[in-house]
Amino acid sequence: MLAPMEIGLEGMKRMAAAGGFAWTDAELEPIRPAVERLLDALDRLESLPLEDLEPTTQYRVL
Amino acid sequence: MADLVWTSMADLGRMIATKEVSPVEVVRAHLDRIATLDAGLRAFITVCADAALQAARAAEADLMGGKVAGPLHGVPWAPKDLYSTKGVRTTGGSKILADSVPARDATVVARLAGAGAIVLGKLNMHEFAYGPEGLNAHYGDARNPWDSSVHRVTGGSSSGSGAAVAAGLAPGSLGSDTGGSIRIPASLCGITGLKPTYGRVSRAGVLPLAWSMDHVGPMTRTARDSALMLGAIAGYDPADPTTSVLPVPDYTTALTGDVKGVRVGLLRAHFTDVAAPEVRSAVETAARQLEQAGAIVDEVNLTHVAHVGPASTAIVASEALAYHAAWMRVRAQDYQPDVRERLRMGAFISGAQYLRAQQLRALVRSEIDSALVKRDVLLAPATPIPAPALGERETTLGDGKSDVRAALIRLTRPFNYSGHPAGSAPCGFTAGGLPMGFQLVGRPFDEATVLRVIDAYQRLTDWHTRRPPVA
Repeated sequence: MLAPMEIGLEGMKRMAAAGGFAWTDAELEPIRPAVERLLDALDRLESLPLEDLEPTTQYRVL
Repeated sequence: MADLVWTSMADLGRMIATKEVSPVEVVRAHLDRIATLDAGLRAFITVCADAALQAARAAEADLMGGKVAGPLHGVPWAPKDLYSTKGVRTTGGSKILADSVPARDATVVARLAGAGAIVLGKLNMHEFAYGPEGLNAHYGDARNPWDSSVHRVTGGSSSGSGAAVAAGLAPGSLGSDTGGSIRIPASLCGITGLKPTYGRVSRAGVLPLAWSMDHVGPMTRTARDSALMLGAIAGYDPADPTTSVLPVPDYTTALTGDVKGVRVGLLRAHFTDVAAPEVRSAVETAARQLEQAGAIVDEVNLTHVAHVGPASTAIVASEALAYHAAWMRVRAQDYQPDVRERLRMGAFISGAQYLRAQQLRALVRSEIDSALVKRDVLLAPATPIPAPALGERETTLGDGKSDVRAALIRLTRPFNYSGHPAGSAPCGFTAGGLPMGFQLVGRPFDEATVLRVIDAYQRLTDWHTRRPPVA
């Protein structure tokens, strides 16, 4: 089993700043556990057989 | 004329067309009911009383002149407050758009107006459609009409639509569904709701939550009324490039009442088996009733849906933040706290992760398509639990404890992710008197079969005719 992903507040602030958001520690700390869980779950998608699939968003029906 | 508020849209249309009742009487009956009950239910954000009565008088004059726009001529309805309505504010349930007045109608609002339907007002919703409970800090939390002693949530995000249709304040509504926002309130409020196939109904003029997951659809008390509304709104729209040019059938002709030979797959793992015992029992009973009516029922498991949760969260959070980015930079304090936190999540999803989540979509869709090769519809609970009390945070499912919010969207969002059509209808009541709903999932663009099976089920049962105690 993989170790749970950890993301520090400084890392979150840098990522938010890259998107143009100046969020404070107090604003980020409440969502940090949820962000970690989500990133951890997304990391597990890497084990699925997705390499031959194109990203899809809709039915291609004329 | 109290019964007018409990009359179906189909019957109202027929009674108006035959001059049995006047559109003015029908609209007035609903406005009176809104005036009496809405202070407690908080279903409406804006009531358009004068405009609705004016439209009703015009519909009556047309009728007297021999002009009938269609089966919805003079029939009232109310959209969720994220549909653009010309000259009427469209708030999205937010403070940010509290004074936003669109210059034109959303395509579907215009299509329903063209079919003769009359807007009563704009309905409450979870702020910007980003929550399955239906909470709103700005306009008040809509109240589930099925419990007069405990404030229970309606489900969301189309909360006002669920409450208004269930309590007889409007006979029909249009909700929107990104993770279950039509089917969840339909299930919790005991009404019928349909999320059509992605691309079947135009989203033009509808405030987005997540472009690739948003669906527009009807919320009514019967499958027949959903068929009528869908027939009026479906079809290609040049203003929405994702809409299909496939012809729109007359959905009401599919409502034969006959399910003989229809193949129904009861979804077990990740769906029926994780529901609360009363819900599981109600859905299994519905499967048996359909079988007794001639349907062929078997059981089926979908495995890849186990990954849908994080993948759909990544997509919705990314797309939602992209839409809200400008406001989130300068007006973050104007969002209600839960919505603000969900929007912030989108900042931590990378482009690669977003696209990986979109790749998985193809796999999940393919698995559902495969299950539908030998079956016409798939059956599952719409929500694994009945309406929770306001503030309830945790619940117990068949596979353990769960956050209430995660539980509410767990069974519906796989079909936003896949794009398949899915309709919800009431299939029983708990010992405590709360409605429970199933969902039926169909093949892409086969809404007709979904509606056909729900309609047949509603001819076998009376769950959809029950009235809540608040009413």
